[in-house]
Amino acid sequence: MTEQQAMIGSAATAAATPPPARALLEVTDLRMWFPLTSGILIDRHVGDIKAVDGVTLSINKGETLGLVGESGCGKSTVGRTLLRLYKPTGGSIVLDGQPITDIGGAQLRAIRRRMQMIFQDPYASLNPRMTAAGIVSEPMEIHDYLSKSERRERVRYLLKTVGLNPDYGERYPHEFSGGQRQRIGVARALALHPDLIVADEPISALDVSIQAQIINLLERLQGEFGLTYLFIAHDLSVVRHISDRIAVMYLGRLVETASSHELYDRPLHPYSVALLSAVPIPDPKVEERRRRIILTGDVPSPANPPSGCHFHTRCWLRQRLGNPERCAVEAPVLRELETGHHVACHFAEEVEGSPEQKLDLAGSAPVPPAASVPATPPSAPQQP
Amino acid sequence: MHLLSIRDLVVKFRTRDGTIHAVNGVSLDLDQGETLGLVGESGCGKSVTNLALMRLLPQPAGRIEGGHIVFEGQDLLELDESAMRDLRGKDVAMIFQDPMTSLNPVLRIEEQMVETIRAHRKVSMKDARARAGELLGMVGIPQPEKRLRDYPHQFSGGMRQRVMIAMALALEPKLLIADEPTTALDVTIQAQVLELLSRLAAERDTAVILITHDLGVVAGMTKRINVMYAGFVVEAASTADLFARPRHPYTIGLLHSMPRLDAEPGEPLIPIEGAPPDLRAAPVGCPFAPRCAWALERCWMENPTLAPIDEIGEIVTTGASVTHRVACWNLPTADEAISARPERPDFVAAPPPSAVESAR
Repeated sequence: MTEQQAMIGSAATAAATPPPARALLEVTDLRMWFPLTSGILIDRHVGDIKAVDGVTLSINKGETLGLVGESGCGKSTVGRTLLRLYKPTGGSIVLDGQPITDIGGAQLRAIRRRMQMIFQDPYASLNPRMTAAGIVSEPMEIHDYLSKSERRERVRYLLKTVGLNPDYGERYPHEFSGGQRQRIGVARALALHPDLIVADEPISALDVSIQAQIINLLERLQGEFGLTYLFIAHDLSVVRHISDRIAVMYLGRLVETASSHELYDRPLHPYSVALLSAVPIPDPKVEERRRRIILTGDVPSPANPPSGCHFHTRCWLRQRLGNPERCAVEAPVLRELETGHHVACHFAEEVEGSPEQKLDLAGSAPVPPAASVPATPPSAPQQP
Repeated sequence: MHLLSIRDLVVKFRTRDGTIHAVNGVSLDLDQGETLGLVGESGCGKSVTNLALMRLLPQPAGRIEGGHIVFEGQDLLELDESAMRDLRGKDVAMIFQDPMTSLNPVLRIEEQMVETIRAHRKVSMKDARARAGELLGMVGIPQPEKRLRDYPHQFSGGMRQRVMIAMALALEPKLLIADEPTTALDVTIQAQVLELLSRLAAERDTAVILITHDLGVVAGMTKRINVMYAGFVVEAASTADLFARPRHPYTIGLLHSMPRLDAEPGEPLIPIEGAPPDLRAAPVGCPFAPRCAWALERCWMENPTLAPIDEIGEIVTTGASVTHRVACWNLPTADEAISARPERPDFVAAPPPSAVESAR
């Protein structure tokens, strides 16, 4: 989460240069199409849902990459394809220098040890008939890791690490609260010392007061174990908080990648700008003043995406520019406008400096961190 | 006279696993045209309060065991079922979180809307159909006449929620209850729906109760907020006051536990420790005491009532000049509200009485 890490991240995305040794995961032109079939006896292939259609990204060791987008944009499919839960339609995935796009069998199993997943719904992702200890121990059994007694010891250690009482190992999932269940899911993901953890909406099913507990846990574990995260979520405030870099996805393609603060300070894609402007901010003064870009219409179907730039049907910038033909004809490629800041928009330069780009949150007084205030509390609201 | 006055509402669910204490004495007032936010986590009683208001509690488990719900001078708990049916939809309408489960999947939108209109108004089929088309146009659905012939599954999530809003406003209700209306929607669609909802309510002077767990949504949408926890209202204030000067430890905790888009980068989150309470146990003491950094010994024994912070003059329970009220024995100071932790030298939250006993 340091400046330095963020910069390393930026350097790695400079597409032209060969991948630096630090990249843990390199994904190039990843495509994941799901066939659409029709017919009664014989399935005829009538089309494809292009859930992921040419995604290129890299994640460095120890970094958190946030992947954001609306439902149906393909962000979860990216996560699952990276873990090779699907066989990609095209493109390549390289983990730590080793291509894993086409491997199978024992090779694939070996690589899976290094990549784990945390799921959204802690109710659905834990087997209700297994004890917490059984759930956390299962990956180690499958991969034949450690002896039985060592495993038992490690389960206790893992439960403790994620903030659960190790003696609760004999309890079943229904005996835990939602937040505790998610901790079990985190412990299971840690069992095999993974390098990469794909967290797919890990907090969106939790109560608001519990979400921060899990975010803080994930941040602490990253520091302790040097983990690398792909953090998939729809909530921009959460993604911004936890990520070093952010990739914004729309209908199967990346539209913008940048460091977390850069994306927030200077979003360059019209979609990112609209997404940021739509996030409600818990401050009535800001809410009253800020301008919100209301996108018209819905996200189009990935089975039949718009031609050219997928976003052109809803784009506020295109409307302002008099609906240039180019957006509807030519798909924009990700180009590097600033070091480490890639945008896929023909007219990204028009976003720069526009009134929309400014989130206009200045003057709002975000509550300062407790750690930095004890000496001089900033101008506190006057209480009679 | 207020449009709506709820006094000491108590709702319990009698289940095989015991009694669920869902709402434990909630009071609130609402005036014509006012927008009130009810904020809290799942299980805090915010939805149950409103289901009780509509007399739509799941039967036979859900029971209103005390209190009054007075709407336009009439206690809804004394109405018979047919009078209640007359009131629902016409005077009080509701929008739910998931529009797919609240629309009938086998009926065209037109049939559902016409049915609603004709249940309450003596109008011809033709007029009702025209009105339905007009309403769909009003909520921004393109080609409303054509879309009337569609089934719910032919609409996207955001469009379905628009249809729900159109149906809810069909009879010009005086009160609209929106229960997590945008939780199932994407942010860009959420922005559309919220904008529509607040514009239509303002145009018609409709009172709105907006139920949500998202403090960001209520900040932009409401004039007044009640924060609920474990079936109690723990803090009530105007929206501006609540965000500028939160006073209840739970409200303060909520505000600090969410990452904010406008926060400084790297700012740590301060979570609320522990988990929401088990509502099967009858409440003793302050419901938030087990998770509260400011807990006193008293908090474990006695439940504080909602009291004004500054006891000067009359207590105003509704409107723009609403009195800021908090249910807390040990109010955090303004500085503590900013740092989200007690700043008093040597202060330690009181442990539960049982822990003290066993230590002895």
